[in-house]
Amino acid sequence: MTGFADSELLFDALRRARAGERRAYADIYRLLERPVRTLARRLVSRAAVAEDLAQDVFVEVLTSLGQYDGRGSFAGWVRSITVRKCLMHLRSPWRRGRQWIESLDGEQSFEPGESRAPSSGEALDLERALGQLGDTARVVVWLHDVEGYTHVEIGALLGGTASLSKSQLARAHARLRELLENDGAKISCMPVSTSC
Amino acid sequence: MHASVDQLLSLRDGAPVGAGIREHVRDCPHCSTRLADATRMRERLRALPVAPEPADDAWTSIEALVASIHRRRRRMAGLAPLAAAASVAALAVFAAMRWVEPGTSAPQSAATVASTASPASDEQLAVLQARSQALEAMLAAMPARPAVERAATSVPIESLEAQVQWLDHQLTVADADGRVPQAQQLWRDRVEVMNSLVQLRYVEAQHIAN
Repeated sequence: MTGFADSELLFDALRRARAGERRAYADIYRLLERPVRTLARRLVSRAAVAEDLAQDVFVEVLTSLGQYDGRGSFAGWVRSITVRKCLMHLRSPWRRGRQWIESLDGEQSFEPGESRAPSSGEALDLERALGQLGDTARVVVWLHDVEGYTHVEIGALLGGTASLSKSQLARAHARLRELLENDGAKISCMPVSTSC
Repeated sequence: MHASVDQLLSLRDGAPVGAGIREHVRDCPHCSTRLADATRMRERLRALPVAPEPADDAWTSIEALVASIHRRRRRMAGLAPLAAAASVAALAVFAAMRWVEPGTSAPQSAATVASTASPASDEQLAVLQARSQALEAMLAAMPARPAVERAATSVPIESLEAQVQWLDHQLTVADADGRVPQAQQLWRDRVEVMNSLVQLRYVEAQHIAN
């Protein structure tokens, strides 16, 4: 779990921050930086980008504390901002364009997609396998299985329906299972077509 | 017939599944194993390590950004009516420029041009490139963007910058393939986006000056 949970310390820091105490900002950051950065790193495979997104999340959170109405979990509110920022990044045309250029240059991407074949003999642990999922499948499996989002919530975040989330989750599990059962030497080709 | 992954995940998550499927999974060693695997996979995902320690200066950067945003907000609070008036005026100027400027009608996608396979106007590629360069020069002459941005202008500015980057990428591809009609439309789109970008940067610069 990435650990987005409210606590007395967090509520106290929130109360002090809203009262204008600047040191409380640092406390909020300290209490939530691990969950935010972990979630960003799981949703966006490129570590440097995930760190930038996490920084953006905290800037937004700490400058928008007035928008948190206190009705739900504060940590949950921060998590929703993190998810939104990561999804915005994954959808951005600039990122897609850059991925395409990298594929032309033959540059090895740090954001592995489904089309990236693992190198021969490469051992695939769960983190690596997760990184090899497509963006949507990775987001769905993480939000559902780890963060506890429902299919309806995930479908809405992706601009689709619960069915989209369900099918992506099934696909992600099948793919993870396949990747974990086969090490790099055994995967001679990736299923880019049904004949493969 | 074994249960599908979807059905197994529904069973794992306590979602409704047919009674027949439930009984099959209970009695079938293969499906029972796969159900256990799916449950174990979830546990393994949840047990993955958290992110390592952040960079030493991570909080310092965030703190500085947050402080400058708060300072700017306090300043802007006193100038809100003036800023609103300036935005309206800038939009009016922008709308007027679009009205009188030839060749800047609603953008037409490169795909549309490709399908018609004919240049949409008599504008030459060189003219469009020159206009684009002139707009680039105007942009370069503007003061640097503020460290702390206003959401009202920064979001559209970033969106337009992303569009320019995307168009540049598309132009590279079109040039490589020698697709002149597409390139012409892409340059036209670029001029439009750059035009909007210059207008918004101008509004942003005015806000800073105020």
